[in-house]
Amino acid sequence: MPEKIIYLDYAATTPVDPRVAQKMAGFLTCEGLFANPASAHTPGRKARGAVEQARMQVAALVNAEPGEIIFTSGATESDNLAIKGAAHFYRDKGRHVVTSRIEHKAVLDTCKQLERDGFEVTYIKPNADGLVEPQAVAQALRPDTVLVSIMHVNNEIGTANDIAAIGAIVHAQGAWFHVDAAQSAGKLPIDLKQMPVDLMSFSGHKVYGPKGIGALYVRSQPHINLDPLIHGGGHEHGLRSGTLATHQIVGMGEAYRIAREEMPKDVTHCSALRQQLWRALHVTVPEALLNGHPSQRVCGILNVGFPGIEGESLLFACHDLAVSSGSACTSTDKAPSFVLRALGRDDQLAGSSIRFSVGRFTTKEEVQTAARIVSEEYHRLQELAPAAG
Amino acid sequence: MPDPFAAYSDTVRAHFRTPRNAGGFAAGHERILAGSAGQRRYGREVEFQLQVTAEGRIGDCRYRVYGCPATIALCSLTSEALKGRTPAEAAGFSVVTLAEQLGLPAEKRAAAVTVEDAVRAAAGRYNAAPAISPAVPQLQA
Repeated sequence: MPEKIIYLDYAATTPVDPRVAQKMAGFLTCEGLFANPASAHTPGRKARGAVEQARMQVAALVNAEPGEIIFTSGATESDNLAIKGAAHFYRDKGRHVVTSRIEHKAVLDTCKQLERDGFEVTYIKPNADGLVEPQAVAQALRPDTVLVSIMHVNNEIGTANDIAAIGAIVHAQGAWFHVDAAQSAGKLPIDLKQMPVDLMSFSGHKVYGPKGIGALYVRSQPHINLDPLIHGGGHEHGLRSGTLATHQIVGMGEAYRIAREEMPKDVTHCSALRQQLWRALHVTVPEALLNGHPSQRVCGILNVGFPGIEGESLLFACHDLAVSSGSACTSTDKAPSFVLRALGRDDQLAGSSIRFSVGRFTTKEEVQTAARIVSEEYHRLQELAPAAG
Repeated sequence: MPDPFAAYSDTVRAHFRTPRNAGGFAAGHERILAGSAGQRRYGREVEFQLQVTAEGRIGDCRYRVYGCPATIALCSLTSEALKGRTPAEAAGFSVVTLAEQLGLPAEKRAAAVTVEDAVRAAAGRYNAAPAISPAVPQLQA
């Protein structure tokens, strides 16, 4: 990455922690444990041991049993496996699924596919703070609801849903509960022995691990069945066939081990930087609006709307910052952020909103510089604009 | 995801970063023709002012613009191009052609049309009232 670019897009992906990269390197070459973990010979058994250690490390971060962790290619596959797998397995029980309008596309597009497969899906509208209210879930449930999928933390605005309350309502109705935790693992405490959750999706690359690896938690007691998406070989209890990517799995395991040990430090660090950024922006651009709930949220994500200026110009003006935007120009579907629109923001404000996300390696100086750049460019563009009519 | 700004040439980038002639003429200026086009809620709004000399040529321009980088850069480049032209020539100036010459993608055509409409609206006032009066609507400085 060019030196002058300030990376504030940790919610999109994190750099791999050097400790993770070092660990992974030991599982690739002739000198390392490159063998197929399914092989019965000694190198294979050693590789298998490394995979199982990684499984324990992932399970430990979220207080699950190692046998409840299924490795996948990432959170998107985990979401697909959870939603399609459960819906199809239990289709004789019912064909209604509940989710929210501000889920990640991995969930929304999967639900759209279920609709094409003959299921009915209810999309809950979040409240103005970007939260899915438990009562709204209760109202959406029907006798034929088989599955509810609600994200833990929203990837655009960082708000954290009350998973315990929602899960209790879902289970009272007798439905299964899936949670996408790609944005919360390593940032918020997750205790799957206490939380009423049956399926939970995890990502490696949002937690300083490698891309191309994720996991799905599948509750064992009571046991939930899934129809697999990928067949062949019977790996991962038959739920996800394919040769296990040892180096990726070991990398995710190491990343989750570090996250577990360093979460208090990471959270303190990110919370302070986020607060610093918001204060700096709020002082220099008093019109700036915080998108999402002010306190019920994850530590590292700050989504700010900048009224009165055009989004593409703001993002282009801030090209020294690696940030994400609700602007149409950065979206492949050329539409304003559906999350911000669901919150009731108009197209203009949704388009001129920026998601800043800080992480383990972000510095105070970077945040200070970023706030200065955004503020200067905001005022420059505002001065260019005609008086608002 | 492809770079959303890849279509912007160095010229477009330079005029976006440092727009020429931006702003408005101070109140009280005479011989000012003003016109506007676009609406903010549709993503772009442009107000153009043309200062016409006693000889009937555009001596200077100002504009205010809300819009994407292409809209801002086109306002800047157009303001440079209009100097020395008659209002009639300004009314016929093709910002769309300018956008094509800059290599802007087809989806930015609407930006060019909005700038063109604002210039035409301003220049059209000269045709309507050759004896320019200070009473012509003026933009805030």
